[in-house]
Amino acid sequence: MYILGISCYYHDSSAALLKNGKIVAAAEEERFTRKKHDNSFPINAAKFCLKSQGISIKDVDYVGFYEKPLLKFERMLSQHMQSFPKSLKTFLSSMPSWMNEKLRIMSPIRKKLKYQGDVLFIEHHMAHAASSFLVSPFKKAAILTVDGVGEWTTTTYGLGEDNNIELMKEIKFPHSLGLLYSTITAYLGFSVNNSEYKVMGLSPYGDMNPLTNKYYKKLQKVIDVKSDGSFKFDMSYFKFHYADRMPSKKLCQLLGSPVRKGESEVGQRHKDIAAALQMVLESIMTKILNHVHKVTNCENIVLAGGVALNSVYNGKILKNTPFKKIWIQPNATDGGTSIGVVSYIYNVILGKKRTFVLKDAFLGPGYSTETVKKFLDKNKIKYSTFKNDKELVDTTAKLLAESNVIGWFQGKMEWGPRALGSRSILSNPCNPEMQEILNLKVKHREKFRPFAPVVCEDDALKYFDCDKPVPEPTDYMLMVYPIFKEWRKKIPSVTHVDGSGRLQTIRRSQNKLYYDVIKKFGSHTSIPILVNTSFNIRGEPIVCTPHDAYKCMMGTGIDYVVMSNFLIKREDNQRDIWDSEKLAID
Amino acid sequence: MRLVKDFFKGFFKGMKNFGTNISMIVNSILLSVVYFVGVGLTAIFAKLFRKKFLDLKLNKQVKTYWKDLNLKKKKIDDYYRTF
Repeated sequence: MYILGISCYYHDSSAALLKNGKIVAAAEEERFTRKKHDNSFPINAAKFCLKSQGISIKDVDYVGFYEKPLLKFERMLSQHMQSFPKSLKTFLSSMPSWMNEKLRIMSPIRKKLKYQGDVLFIEHHMAHAASSFLVSPFKKAAILTVDGVGEWTTTTYGLGEDNNIELMKEIKFPHSLGLLYSTITAYLGFSVNNSEYKVMGLSPYGDMNPLTNKYYKKLQKVIDVKSDGSFKFDMSYFKFHYADRMPSKKLCQLLGSPVRKGESEVGQRHKDIAAALQMVLESIMTKILNHVHKVTNCENIVLAGGVALNSVYNGKILKNTPFKKIWIQPNATDGGTSIGVVSYIYNVILGKKRTFVLKDAFLGPGYSTETVKKFLDKNKIKYSTFKNDKELVDTTAKLLAESNVIGWFQGKMEWGPRALGSRSILSNPCNPEMQEILNLKVKHREKFRPFAPVVCEDDALKYFDCDKPVPEPTDYMLMVYPIFKEWRKKIPSVTHVDGSGRLQTIRRSQNKLYYDVIKKFGSHTSIPILVNTSFNIRGEPIVCTPHDAYKCMMGTGIDYVVMSNFLIKREDNQRDIWDSEKLAID
Repeated sequence: MRLVKDFFKGFFKGMKNFGTNISMIVNSILLSVVYFVGVGLTAIFAKLFRKKFLDLKLNKQVKTYWKDLNLKKKKIDDYYRTF
């Protein structure tokens, strides 16, 4: 039995395919169209899913969609009627896409996919909940979903047991932690639904003491939080329910200045506001999780929704709440709901037993050695060939120890926003200049942004003050932990200003070559940790094909690409060099 | 030949932009009518009858803002609906 899941028309469209209870393929549309956060109908992602299994759309038994579009439309109309006549501008800008696409979702499914079978619609937050619980290792778990907004819901909690999910309580639009984070992201001059993680990365530069950070007290005025973590906003501080600009004048007055302009300097007050926002979020989330534990009396928690990508807070959950185990899927945001949809249809609606646990994120397209060789030869690219895996591992580790920047293109592409060792840029974390080299020459991004360390799972507890045992979401770079003090100066490129690192742990069973390179690098430097950042230029999606990877290397300061078992040196291919800096816009 | 090709390329591009702009103007006019007549009248009547479409008011007295959802497995027919 095959089930195809679709998520689209908000941000990060995706498709996922389930075969007899197992997720066999999943990818986001942006990787194919090369438009970051592409929200169009994921026809390329769907075609990839089908092709990966050698099937056609006729073999698919059900197609599932990640929300109930009419309920969402009802919410949109309610917003406009509540805010009449202030909402005219957003009404004019949003209605054409509702009329042409969102309300006519059956049209692309029938016409573009050429699918004539059954289509099922799952509530948005149920799709989130299913995307996490049904592929988790837990038989029973409390579930918390927190995002911007689905149809009406912004936050839910409930319980999952075997192949059943019950979402018990909700908080409705416009009261939304995701939209609060996005509003302050917009206030700080960063792009919404894209740069929230930058605000999270900026927060440790600010005053993280709630007693001395004046913005913390100010932001508390904006929200009424009850002891069980439920909350409501004073909507006079916000405009997102009727305008495309998110913070209101009153919020700007409260925070003491107008919205920061895009490329202007990030000052200390911006850092303090980011810190205040992070502290507010953490305080509310802790209250919610304590309440959810009290209600469900369950020691396992699964999280989903965009807020579950807040890795800084995720790393504190087990310390600050009674939960003992945590699980988050690698693509916790809207893009990840397509795997929720297919799992929900198979396990809950059709009542089939759960037999699948997501053990790694490698669900995207992969390219055989022959395909890569054909690409290199056809484009007359100069390269050398590794004789075997040992030579590949030894050479790559040696180049990394010499502080070269390596593009690492191996196996199937990752599912979710993080590069986890299939489409990664790797480098030496012991080199104190590496953060600046990567930020300016390769990624063309803001100086304040830290890089992530990757460490073998069996070494993690030596360097990082993780929860024990190391939680599985750490494999997906979803947990930030403090680096032990004695190591901070030895790995400066991955040590954030507060001494933390957003680490990725890797198990050999997940990605043998990647694991071996890290270990071998450790034998050269005595520290088996690498810098791992996504293989892309700022503002572009992570590379998907050999062509994307080669183009990215030639446009940046990446020294080598290890692609399948071929080594390509940038200097050997001078004729293809170009400058990607002007493209580096979010 | 190339000049002719370039002319038609530019011509079609211009026509496409013209079409896009025209449809944007027509859309805006029609949608403005819908907005002021449909949304506007409903909003005015709703205000007269004190109907609220969004729950915007804070209530310091209540103990919780959590609302019952009780969302669980439904009959398969319910999932065929877009609402």
